Amino acid sequence: MPEPAALQGFASCHTCGKVSVLSADPAAETARCPRCRTPLHLRKPYSLQRTWALLLAAGALYVPANLLPIMEVRGIQGAQNSTILSGVITFWQMGSYPVAIIIFTASVVIPLMKVAALVWLCLAAQGHTVSPPRALNRVYYITELLGRWSMVDVFVVAVLATMVKLGALMTITPGPAAVSFAGVVILTMFSAMSFDPRLIWDRHRESLLNSRNADPAVGDNAYGPEEKGISTPTLLHNPCDRLRLP
Amino acid sequence: MPVRYHHPAAAAATTTTVAALMKRHHPGLSWPQIQDGPMRVACHFCDTLQESPRLREGDAAYCCCCGRQLYRNRAHSLARAVSFSSAGLILMVIAHSFPFLSMKSGGLSTRLTLVETVFTFWGEGSPLLAVAVTFFTIFAPLVLLGGLLYISVPLRYGAAFPGSLTVACWFQRFEPWSMLEVFLLGILVSLLKLGHLAHVTYDTGLWALAGVVVCTSAAMAGIDRMELWDRLEIAQQPVTERAA
Ligand SMILES: [Zn+2]
Ligand SMILES: [Zn+2]
Repeated sequence: MPEPAALQGFASCHTCGKVSVLSADPAAETARCPRCRTPLHLRKPYSLQRTWALLLAAGALYVPANLLPIMEVRGIQGAQNSTILSGVITFWQMGSYPVAIIIFTASVVIPLMKVAALVWLCLAAQGHTVSPPRALNRVYYITELLGRWSMVDVFVVAVLATMVKLGALMTITPGPAAVSFAGVVILTMFSAMSFDPRLIWDRHRESLLNSRNADPAVGDNAYGPEEKGISTPTLLHNPCDRLRLP
Repeated sequence: MPVRYHHPAAAAATTTTVAALMKRHHPGLSWPQIQDGPMRVACHFCDTLQESPRLREGDAAYCCCCGRQLYRNRAHSLARAVSFSSAGLILMVIAHSFPFLSMKSGGLSTRLTLVETVFTFWGEGSPLLAVAVTFFTIFAPLVLLGGLLYISVPLRYGAAFPGSLTVACWFQRFEPWSMLEVFLLGILVSLLKLGHLAHVTYDTGLWALAGVVVCTSAAMAGIDRMELWDRLEIAQQPVTERAA
């Protein structure tokens, strides 16, 4: 397993990716990237603490987001509140399955899966669970990619509230759950951003090292020879990109 | 073992002329870099330190440890960035000046623009939501496209406007918060919801909005971060140092 940059005294910039020397002494805390002036760190500072704190806050907001009404429909028959789940059920019963499925996926499935994925990633980075790090990489990537799509319910309320101004017949006003749900989405996005996937690989390398020390008979053969210094990336040719613009 | 990395060519690079700097750009083979020697890159996922060799157009480098893509040399990336971000900005003006939905129910008709949505929200006592919707659907996409255009237009000629570094940092930070495509899905869902209540028709604004989404993703997919920053770094060098 190749050595990480941090062990060799290099830090890569979070913003521009430039690799520069960062000594481990505390004075280096104020070091900045020579290219873009972003503060340099070997790992994101307080990554796990921040991720946990934001996750807890998101979990706390998720309760009112589901219990309180997300919008209030006032019509001739009187006022009617609908929560996220009751809205999904209504649309399912009315037969608008696409709407029900989209809202259910975006507002219930994605946020729950995202929180579960981040909890799993944090536990793995703290060494409480053991999972293949490549799989965790993929989990993190998908979590970051999908998170923003849960905002769709807030936008639906926004468009509906503006559209439905049918004189005095009917009004739709956003309920308190819309604000808390937007909060859940924003907090989980920040939480995913503050997580550092490199911690998972640090933990993985550590456990490989420990198992090797514990059982010297296994030797280097079981895990491959230790590679020191710089390795070269795999170069692949992608035929799709050969399609030139005219 | 922390070693300061110095390739002999790096020292020589400071004494070359602008003409020599330009020569570093070999057509079809990678983009110009600040030094001629090999550079290094660390994987963002597993932090493995690796050489970063120059790539031919269309090739990509993948991490030798975790298999994630490190960087890729995309053909005509700056030209793509300029054209798609300028087209996106023009479409954005259209999207804001025309309504995206109009609805007829009884004798009443409503026409809806993006800015109106925000104002309605503000007026109906949810200023927090109004601010969030403004930020995600108006401000962040504008920063994304405007920032990309501001950086990439002068970069095509090897120059950089003042403050390009700050703009580049901010435009990268705003990327996850630009949610126009999610908003577009939201419009479609509310169309499905309202379909049985009233007669809803799409307007120019909706097509323009869809165009903005396409242009934004095309512009962002076309550019490689590493190339953008390498080019910016060269353009940011003071001319005196370049010509010294
Ligand atoms: Zn940097
Ligand atoms: Zn890697």
